[in-house]
Amino acid sequence: MPCRDVSPPDRPDLRTPMTTGPGHSPHGHRSVPHTGDLRVEAWAPTREECIAEAVRGMVGSFADLPSDASCVARECVVAAGDDGRLLVVVLEEVIYRMDAAGELPVDVTVTPEPGDVRVRFTMADSSTATQTGAVPKAVALHGLRLAQDAHGWACQVTLDV
Amino acid sequence: MDIRIVTDGPWRFRIEQIGAMRVPGVVLAPRELLPDESGDQALQQVAHVATLPGIVRASYAMPDIHWGYGFPIGGVAATEVAGGGVISPGGVGFDISCGVRLLTAHVDRTALLHRLPALMDRLDGLIPRGLGRGGLWHLTGRPQLQEILLGGARYAVEQGHGVARDLERCEDYGAVGDADPTQVGERALDRGAGQVGSLGSANHFLEIQAVDTVYDEACARAFGLCPGLVCVMIHCGSRGLGHQICSDHVRAMDAVMRRYGIDVPDPQLACAPVDSAEGRAYLGAMAAAANYARANRQLLADAASRAFLQLTGSGLDLLYDVSHNLAKLETHPHDGARALLCVHRKGATRALPPGHADLPDALRRFGQPVFVPGTMGTASYVMTGSTGNRAFDSCCHGAGRVWSRHRAHRETSVRQLRHELAGAGVAVRPASWRSVIEEAPEAYKDVDAVVRASEHNDLGRLVARLVPLGVLKG
Repeated sequence: MPCRDVSPPDRPDLRTPMTTGPGHSPHGHRSVPHTGDLRVEAWAPTREECIAEAVRGMVGSFADLPSDASCVARECVVAAGDDGRLLVVVLEEVIYRMDAAGELPVDVTVTPEPGDVRVRFTMADSSTATQTGAVPKAVALHGLRLAQDAHGWACQVTLDV
Repeated sequence: MDIRIVTDGPWRFRIEQIGAMRVPGVVLAPRELLPDESGDQALQQVAHVATLPGIVRASYAMPDIHWGYGFPIGGVAATEVAGGGVISPGGVGFDISCGVRLLTAHVDRTALLHRLPALMDRLDGLIPRGLGRGGLWHLTGRPQLQEILLGGARYAVEQGHGVARDLERCEDYGAVGDADPTQVGERALDRGAGQVGSLGSANHFLEIQAVDTVYDEACARAFGLCPGLVCVMIHCGSRGLGHQICSDHVRAMDAVMRRYGIDVPDPQLACAPVDSAEGRAYLGAMAAAANYARANRQLLADAASRAFLQLTGSGLDLLYDVSHNLAKLETHPHDGARALLCVHRKGATRALPPGHADLPDALRRFGQPVFVPGTMGTASYVMTGSTGNRAFDSCCHGAGRVWSRHRAHRETSVRQLRHELAGAGVAVRPASWRSVIEEAPEAYKDVDAVVRASEHNDLGRLVARLVPLGVLKG
């Protein structure tokens, strides 16, 4: 499976005032200020694409993965009681696989299943990544939001680093 | 929840008890140390904590308070166990038993200076940190991880990673009792298996420092400190294992707390009575994570000591090791009697006063050492516990962030930071310069002001000021 580096070089999300966001672009992600930790916002036409954007936002906040890294495909099905918790469970899956297996996603797709979602990761060895920020270790419930609005779906999530 | 903040003298503020608050909030900081970033929710979080069932006296904030989740960082809250008081994993934080240990060398800064680059290079190659670097201790399997969860630094010393004297200088003598590894989930064990003896990233560090100023000579002497002496400060916690335990038990308590009639204003404050199945389960898992954190710091200290031995001819002696993210069952005065309280310290250091029975003999007269790391470009402090501390014998734990990581990237650069630190004579070995920008000195409060406020609020007494010589960051 071909790899694609989802982390824009030089972190324009941190350096440039945002001109995109919900209502400006159909999908995307950005980091927003939080005193101690990292807060990520993402948006997309569907709930599942929005979750995938949040994964890209999280990984892009701390790791640059080379475009030529060799990759493996991983797949899992996750469920949660509500949309916000579903976002948490997917992000926690990324953190778990990073710590336990030394893998980071260079790409991710999320598709609906009855009652849950299926997540497909294209994983690279985390040792090939260049660290560009503090490494997330947990997903907080404080300030968590994943909801549909006039433009599609949007989320906000705080990551402990 | 609307909050009403009133001045209570020059060194503190009071958040009046309104609405669902069961006690007032007390912010032990002067105006210049209050959070001022737009949208910062730290003071709101002090009020939220005041709604927890069983909370007594006040919801306290230390001078280094900043925005956390659920609890503020720098938050202290005690709940009465017999009165249905709760325990909240969010009141401990994700990084269970994150803490600081300080070691003293047998060399002064002048004698070390010409060997510092070689020492920093040795430590740079030795100390795992940052993204995906593994740990110093390659465990033989799950049974050995279980031993660490039960035995903490004590087990590490038994296995040859340190000396018996180290344990006298650790909070709880190196291991928390009542650890229950059966309450630690598989994912936490998976995450912890390869990280024993690693710093992590963000604000965690290993720093070579020198004593710059001594404020209390008798106490400093008892602590083994004198002007010019080289020290090593290590700040880290329970790594992925502790974070997973927090996440798992927040989720478990969130699922059952309504059954106990508990409603909280922030889901990260999910809690259950201390005396409940869920409360006991968390306490057992938390203790296991605390032991992991102490073993982690023990391994890092042992490695640093060996590097010092090789390059300077003598190793390091542990001054003390203390957590700043933990809940403890402690006895304190309450309603005219002694009561068993569950004291949550989230980004706050336990600070036992002189004479306390839990202190080792050599330190008892002087109080418990408290370490206040500043920034890699300024200073850190050694304080000691003092009498009359109304915040359940708690003190600040650091400088406290004032800038978001976002703002740090916006307002400084790698070039500027390297220039600034080189000018200050600080040798830095980061895992990533782009990451270390987020820890720029300007991103933190003035640590001098934080310790001054701590002293004025009777949280502790100043013993010594330490300045950085070399910094390892994740």
